[in-house]
Amino acid sequence: MTYKITEEGNISTVFLDGEIDMDVTEKAKEIILPLVEAGKEVHLNLKDVSYMDSSGISVLIESHQKALEKGTKVIVKEVSKSVLKVIMMAKLEQILNLG
Amino acid sequence: MNFFNTEVNQISESKDFQVSSASLKEVRAFTRDVFKKISLPQEQKDELVLAIAEAAQNIVKHAYKDVEETKDKMQIKISLKNDQLEIGFFDKGKPVVPENIQHRKLDDIKPGGLGTFFIKQIMDEAIFKKNQKGWVNHLVLTKTI
Repeated sequence: MTYKITEEGNISTVFLDGEIDMDVTEKAKEIILPLVEAGKEVHLNLKDVSYMDSSGISVLIESHQKALEKGTKVIVKEVSKSVLKVIMMAKLEQILNLG
Repeated sequence: MNFFNTEVNQISESKDFQVSSASLKEVRAFTRDVFKKISLPQEQKDELVLAIAEAAQNIVKHAYKDVEETKDKMQIKISLKNDQLEIGFFDKGKPVVPENIQHRKLDDIKPGGLGTFFIKQIMDEAIFKKNQKGWVNHLVLTKTI
């Protein structure tokens, strides 16, 4: 997994690339959670994420819940078809902010 | 030893992997390679890859819970006979108590606990078999495809 972050005002957009599994979960959290902790609105762009398993879904949930605690939000954007399927299998499409 | 019958409706392939989260990528690559030989919609292949990777992840995460590093291997065997797909997982971790395996309730939104749910959604059956020589746990996932 690789990533890129762009900043615009209070919005941080994190572009994740590759496959998100248990092996990269900690790295993904280290990228996303500090931005949420800092009160940023975080946009997670997943257009280049080709695979995500339950560990990746856990990162999305944890980020979302942390954002609620901090009074901000995480918006999941440009979800690839394969990742959307996993999100829907977990019945999270109504819970996560899909933009 | 790997054995591959070139008939599309009959496959038996197995591979050993180091018990480590870093191996999950290799597990997916192996699985995708095997499924290339089977005529199935790509969407269904992707689901099966997910189920297999989740089961392998469960070995790393649960059977080897609190184990920092191990030289142990886990083995995955994919067999297809006609339309019956069977995937075997063998490991030497802590003995699994099948009755204790539960996925979290979906309306209890929290990180974790989804892997087993995905496996159950995708596969027809998931059972632990006993008395596998040289192994501690033997999970078998089956699906009619």
